[in-house]
Amino acid sequence: MIEDPLDPRLRDAAADYNKPPETPREAMWAAIQSGRTRPARRPIWKPLLWGGLAAAAVLVLGILIGRALMSGSHAPVNPPIAGPVNPDTATGDNAFKVAAVQYLSQSEVFLTTFRADLKQGTLDQNAGRRAQELLSSNRLLMDSPAARDPKTKALLQDLELVLAEIAQMTDQTDKNEANMIDDGLEQGGLLSRLRTAVPAGQPTVGL
Amino acid sequence: MTDHSLIERVLAGEASAERELYDAHVDRVFRLAYRMAGESDLAQDFVQETFIKVYSRLATFRGESALSTWITSIALSVALNGLRKVKRFRQREAGLEEAVTVTETRRRTEPDLHIRMRDAIDKLPEGYRTVFVMHDMEGYTHEEIGSALGVQSGTSKAQLFRARAKLREALADFAGESAS
Repeated sequence: MIEDPLDPRLRDAAADYNKPPETPREAMWAAIQSGRTRPARRPIWKPLLWGGLAAAAVLVLGILIGRALMSGSHAPVNPPIAGPVNPDTATGDNAFKVAAVQYLSQSEVFLTTFRADLKQGTLDQNAGRRAQELLSSNRLLMDSPAARDPKTKALLQDLELVLAEIAQMTDQTDKNEANMIDDGLEQGGLLSRLRTAVPAGQPTVGL
Repeated sequence: MTDHSLIERVLAGEASAERELYDAHVDRVFRLAYRMAGESDLAQDFVQETFIKVYSRLATFRGESALSTWITSIALSVALNGLRKVKRFRQREAGLEEAVTVTETRRRTEPDLHIRMRDAIDKLPEGYRTVFVMHDMEGYTHEEIGSALGVQSGTSKAQLFRARAKLREALADFAGESAS
């Protein structure tokens, strides 16, 4: 990404944005000391079965990427799913695209489930771990030819932010904080963009 | 004093070490919180919650990143969650006010560059604004931002690029004056 700074006039104007005053150290220290005597909040997460599903999803993505790397120019790629693959250019790049579609489909299912669980108050204890696994796959895809397409890249990057938030949820995360992530998901229109990116009838291998 | 020895002293219950840790990081955390919140009370709330979480979770810090980066990631999480709560609350309040003051004419701000810039930054999507504030205002590197947000540094660069593009677009009418 090319560094493309704002021109000096705009930069100066931006520098005044919410310019911080001097740090009120002592007042905040006193408040921290008093706040630490309050009891900690209790976690809300309830356990569900995500582990096996997550492992399967990662395995499938690994196979797809591995197949793409092994295929080179002499072996045709046989994508395991119906997708927007042009048979004339079914090379490694297309395998990555298929892997990306598969991954986006899995992410859509995960985020849809996450929101549904949230609404029912049955948020999965392993959602954070699952998000972390999807995050790892996201990074593989971002470094792959699949991210050459600007739309896919932007979608992967926005998805990365949301997954990172979910992955950082801990047992100290309360329902309100989880709801805030859900709000962010709604405002960014991420789910609808994911649904647009995933062809209709796309199976969700691994979920 | 290294991060490691300071953490050990805090975990051992040494009160002066807690204060040392606070003194070493509070300015940076407050600056970021204030840039994000734009209000002193709110920023102070964020800083307080951040340090309460830092002390309660310090035993889980594995040293995979610098302590400052770890603290920044907690501060960001606190600030972003807090701002979403505030936004939702204010939207509800605004909805109620709008219902009873339908005829009130909206006051237009002067087309001042600083005011327009503030509005434009406020309107940036959350991710863009966070990266823009951290990088262009507070001087964090993309690596630090990536670690704090839990994303790759490339994502931080991309978000910054898009944030600047949006600001240029929003302030396009100042471009001529700027060039002259």
